[in-house]
Amino acid sequence: MSTNTQTVTTGAPAEAPARRKPQLSEGARAERRLGWLLCAPAVVVMIAVTAYPVGYAIWLSLQRYNLELPNAVKFVGFSNYAAVLSSPYWWQALWVTVLITVVSVSITLVLGMLLALVMYRTLFGRGTVRTAALIPYGIVTVAAAYGWQYAWTPGQGYLSALFNDSAPLVSQYKAIAVIILAEVWKTTPFMGLLLLAGLSLVPEDLQKAAKVDGATAWQRFIKITVPLMKPAILVALLFRTLDSFRIFDNIFILTAGNNGTQSVSILGWDNLFKALNLGIGSAISILIFICVVIIAAVFIKGFGTAAPGTDIEKR
Amino acid sequence: MGDSGGMSPSGRRGRARTLIRVAPARTALARAGSRWRLTASLASVMLAAGALAACGSSSGGGSGPVTLNYYQYPDVSGATNAEIKNCNAQSGGQYTISYQILPASSDSQRLQLVRRLAARDSTIDIMALDVTWEAEFANAGWIVPWTGANKAAVVNGTIKPALETAMWKGQLVAAPANTNTQLLWYRSDLVKTPPKTWAQMIAMAEQLKKEGKPHYIEIQGAQYEGNTVWFNTMVNSAGGTVLNPTATKVTLGAPAVKALSVMKQLADSAGADPSLAVQMENENRLAMEAGTAAFQLNYPFVYPSMKADNPKMFKSFKWALYPQVIPGVPAKVTIGGVDLAVSQYSQHRALAFKAAMCLRDKQNQLIGATVGGVPPTIASLYRDPKMFADYPFHADILYALQHASVRPKTPLYQVVSIDISHLTSPPAKINPVNTEKAMAASINNALQSKGLVP
Amino acid sequence: MAAVATTPRQKTGWGVTNVVVVALALIPVLWMVSLSFKTPTAVLDPSFVPAQWTWGNYTQILKTSAFVRPLFNSIGIGLIATLISVVLASMAAYAVARLRFPGKAVLIGMSLLIAMFPIIALVTPLFAIERALGLFNTWPGLIIPYVAFGLPLGIYTLSAFFREIPWELEKAAKVDGATPFQAFVKVIAPLAAPGMVTTAILVFLACWNEFLMALSFTSTISARTAPASLAYLSGSSQFTVPTGPIAAAAVVITIPIILFVLFFQRRIVAGLTSGAVKG
Repeated sequence: MSTNTQTVTTGAPAEAPARRKPQLSEGARAERRLGWLLCAPAVVVMIAVTAYPVGYAIWLSLQRYNLELPNAVKFVGFSNYAAVLSSPYWWQALWVTVLITVVSVSITLVLGMLLALVMYRTLFGRGTVRTAALIPYGIVTVAAAYGWQYAWTPGQGYLSALFNDSAPLVSQYKAIAVIILAEVWKTTPFMGLLLLAGLSLVPEDLQKAAKVDGATAWQRFIKITVPLMKPAILVALLFRTLDSFRIFDNIFILTAGNNGTQSVSILGWDNLFKALNLGIGSAISILIFICVVIIAAVFIKGFGTAAPGTDIEKR
Repeated sequence: MGDSGGMSPSGRRGRARTLIRVAPARTALARAGSRWRLTASLASVMLAAGALAACGSSSGGGSGPVTLNYYQYPDVSGATNAEIKNCNAQSGGQYTISYQILPASSDSQRLQLVRRLAARDSTIDIMALDVTWEAEFANAGWIVPWTGANKAAVVNGTIKPALETAMWKGQLVAAPANTNTQLLWYRSDLVKTPPKTWAQMIAMAEQLKKEGKPHYIEIQGAQYEGNTVWFNTMVNSAGGTVLNPTATKVTLGAPAVKALSVMKQLADSAGADPSLAVQMENENRLAMEAGTAAFQLNYPFVYPSMKADNPKMFKSFKWALYPQVIPGVPAKVTIGGVDLAVSQYSQHRALAFKAAMCLRDKQNQLIGATVGGVPPTIASLYRDPKMFADYPFHADILYALQHASVRPKTPLYQVVSIDISHLTSPPAKINPVNTEKAMAASINNALQSKGLVP
Repeated sequence: MAAVATTPRQKTGWGVTNVVVVALALIPVLWMVSLSFKTPTAVLDPSFVPAQWTWGNYTQILKTSAFVRPLFNSIGIGLIATLISVVLASMAAYAVARLRFPGKAVLIGMSLLIAMFPIIALVTPLFAIERALGLFNTWPGLIIPYVAFGLPLGIYTLSAFFREIPWELEKAAKVDGATPFQAFVKVIAPLAAPGMVTTAILVFLACWNEFLMALSFTSTISARTAPASLAYLSGSSQFTVPTGPIAAAAVVITIPIILFVLFFQRRIVAGLTSGAVKG
């Protein structure tokens, strides 16, 4: 028992090289067992639900398989991937997706930061502000999307009337702007929440000291707050980017992907469910997945976003 | 989330602080405990309710009338319920039809049916298919052909183009239940005599604009199936077709170029609504009711709607036949509607046929027409006085139906339709010659299952 | 945290800011509310205040069980999935944050990958599995996938919370003679409670919002959830878009969330800024 506590509190760096496999102490073995035991239910559920579908999706992407012709299934190797990567529709959808992701995440970051600051520091009415700010996050995406669609319909909507009865959903880039607006409105609260968590970890003492030294609010923000919030900002950015890249609901309701507003997810949907081409549709999905993994890798390796559980060694 | 870790310089002070905080946490434990107990009991109540709910969905079997599951789009008018009631009564205790509601959008309906049929779902008996799905479903072996006496009963008296939508490879695979076609709706206070051709209509719109009066021509310009319908109407009215009869070759050619140039002409003219490129049937109706339009090409549902929404305008709300593309040649408006099919995996095939026959018989189609607002497929009903009150335009509809065109019959129709509407919407970007070439190329690819769907 | 002396100028400044934030957040919601009260004719008018008011949209959707039952389903499925998800995630997150065992990186990696895989590709095989197991159109048919897809979010969030709790507390508890389990229940769990509540809220909102699986794995109201039921609303004809009823349905779906947020906003924010675990 006391050996166990010793192991835990003397600090990890000295411990790591001491972990020789064949000679695990009783305590360490018990710790391992407990660890596996605690993780087991979660792992079992996740694997049971996703192992077969993921494997099946990968297998499908290598076949020529139309849902209506289940007997004409043929192994075609990577030709589905070749077809997707050589199709202008894929590249346009990718471009639209990247555009929406970059713009909406940037805007959400700025607005989320502002929202976090307001939620943290406002002098009064804190409860009201927080409740109101969280409502967009709680509304069902498709319900909100219907609201935006009607708002931008000429003759029916207040936003369209505001811009002289224009129909922005008609032209590609205006429609993309409307989609970005809907995304930003919906996801700023989530960003704000994550940033608020990071904000609350910035010690007040440092702020006070800087104030005494004569730093302006902006200087304090840039030189103290932001650097200390960097881990939180990176995590928030990572999650938001991953989600934004897979945008679907808003586009589906607002434009159904028409007029050049298709994202890669919508492209996947169209090929999977309208054309019932399971092979191509699965290939598109796998490619989306690969893109998402690349984004995650860039964030974790490139920007140093902390992946959970990796810094336990620092204890 | 932040990794401030536990190794702050003020560790020892911090530890004392946290140890002190632990004490209130222990008394908080009591509150937490009761809160958890409350949550646990709430959860078990929900779990029990859920289990009960999950158990309650199986349909009754055993002796007694067989339950036939009928899958159809949502119908708030009550017509479907009335029809089902009739058929249950007439069944003599043999079967009870159960109305299973599908989602409102046509795409979602197809998706649900396809997914379950591909999984050989035996709980589907009768389905209401949109007229473009028959080729696909029959080709996949999901629906059973109608033969013998059943077929004869269906064929007899049904309008020809409606019947054509239910044919595949020489077999009748579904029974037309209702149909639909478009008319030209116009305001008689703006236009004394309705135009006969597209050229005339566009000219009238230009004239109205000069006079400062409402002048839009409402048509479905959004990038969706309705736009394909418009194109199909125009091509067929110009004397051509999209595919050859066996759906193996693209046959666009000169009539398609003519059709596209008329569509382009509209998009460039005064008749084009600024939101043309996002308009579907509903937006067309609303624009007309709001008073910004002079003409509308739409289905008859706009008539009762105008009556209810704008009684004042209703007095000058008139109709005429769809404008011709080639002067003197009647327009061939694309036919819509729904056909009833029996599932391959149904466990009560004979009864399902019987029930479907009943659902689409003369009496029930009349209910569908008068209560449900969906035009019937049986020609003689158009001469039935009971129809006249709700369908003062019954003669025009019958004429349009008898000269109707059908959308390309191919199992790959969904892809063909997407290819078409992606090139014809927004209509302003049509270039007749180039668009025809691009369309022929992409439909060719589609027919060979090559490449992606946009 | 608040400044000691607040000048009137500061007060007005924050007052204005508050109003701006609340307005930006709520105007689209108010738009939906206003739409839900418009008659079919008033829909033509783009003004915020309906020219003609009616309760008809609400009566239309509430009079049939076709909408009320999905609402009940959403609440039930959401609560059960959240409960199971948080319990399983807490256990796994505790292990990840506290214990040393091989395969940890694999677990984290796998759960992140699962969270990132496009669901459109998983719907068809999952549908086939559910049909084979008889789970199609049942509550468990939605609860199980929701738990599986909610676990990555739960594990990630909770492991971050657990990491914030100092080691010394457990050590102190053990010194006091508690078993690891007692240490967890009496010391760690109460401190992690805010984090668990926050995670529960995030997972619940994710389940509540979910549309694709809800639409694909249900066919009747016995298991359909509220977002999916929006897809079944239809107008007087197949071409008429029922703007009013859709808006009314959207408002009705949102009200539980507003109440939820109202009650829990203090918890949510407190959980994130909790002073209990600051160093």
